[in-house]
Amino acid sequence: MRLKPKPGDFFIVLFIAAAAVIMMISMRQADTGEKTALIIHDGVVVKKIRLDTLDHTEIHEYSGEYPGVIEAENGRIRFREAECPDQVCVRTGWISKNGQIAVCLPEGILIKITGVDSAEDDTDILLY
Amino acid sequence: MRKIALNGILISLALVLSYLESLFPTSLIIPIPGIKLGLANIATMFALFYLGFVSALTVSVLRCVLGALLFGGFSSMLFSLAGAFLALVVMQALKYGYDRQFSILGISIGGAAAHNTGQILMASLMMRNTAIFAYLPVLLLAGIVMGFITAVVAQNVFYLVDKTHVVKHLG
Repeated sequence: MRLKPKPGDFFIVLFIAAAAVIMMISMRQADTGEKTALIIHDGVVVKKIRLDTLDHTEIHEYSGEYPGVIEAENGRIRFREAECPDQVCVRTGWISKNGQIAVCLPEGILIKITGVDSAEDDTDILLY
Repeated sequence: MRKIALNGILISLALVLSYLESLFPTSLIIPIPGIKLGLANIATMFALFYLGFVSALTVSVLRCVLGALLFGGFSSMLFSLAGAFLALVVMQALKYGYDRQFSILGISIGGAAAHNTGQILMASLMMRNTAIFAYLPVLLLAGIVMGFITAVVAQNVFYLVDKTHVVKHLG
């Protein structure tokens, strides 16, 4: 009835936890002050919004199988509404830090905040 | 014959477990696509331990396909197939050390981590962008917890099955 852990079990847990922490550290982006949101739809950057200097509310409506509305204001951005079935994107809420993302998987659209203003900012992750 | 019947039972069991865990709103608490308890992995692990790799593969592939037809869509099927396949490969590999280096705990947790990695790989392929990897660390840490819960349930199921001799080892 009771679990009988073996030494290898601890090794597996340790390995996964270490991998997660290493990934977190390597993906962390320093807060440089500059904050740009990239809206990427089907792998293409469709819009770039400078969030730190934004002085109005910016709306980006997108169409597709599951259309929706992205809303940006000073320092933050979110999926305001979406017609996708799972609503994970809307529930993610506002994102405001460099390196954060919000994703609508059914529609294939994501928002990413980055400190570097580059559209080719695509290879910032190390795969082991 | 018994093996085919058992396979069928395990597939339906996996489907019911997938449905049950969809009622448990994990993604309401942590809004990350693909986060779930992974209870259906109990049926896969049962197939792997009692019936062998081919049965486990049948159970997980059919579970993904039928699950997509019943509750999901085509894209959710691709995610779960990628996750389930990678999880099965890792669990099969770890099974070689079962009872010596690893218990059901390590196999379940390793499988959960592999499942999450497979899902993220498929998601980044479909979104044609690697930004989604930002979710992987959180999913891996959640996988440790979810894999632990699954292992506790599976351990109890295996114990009862062995004690009552309902199913003899057919694999």
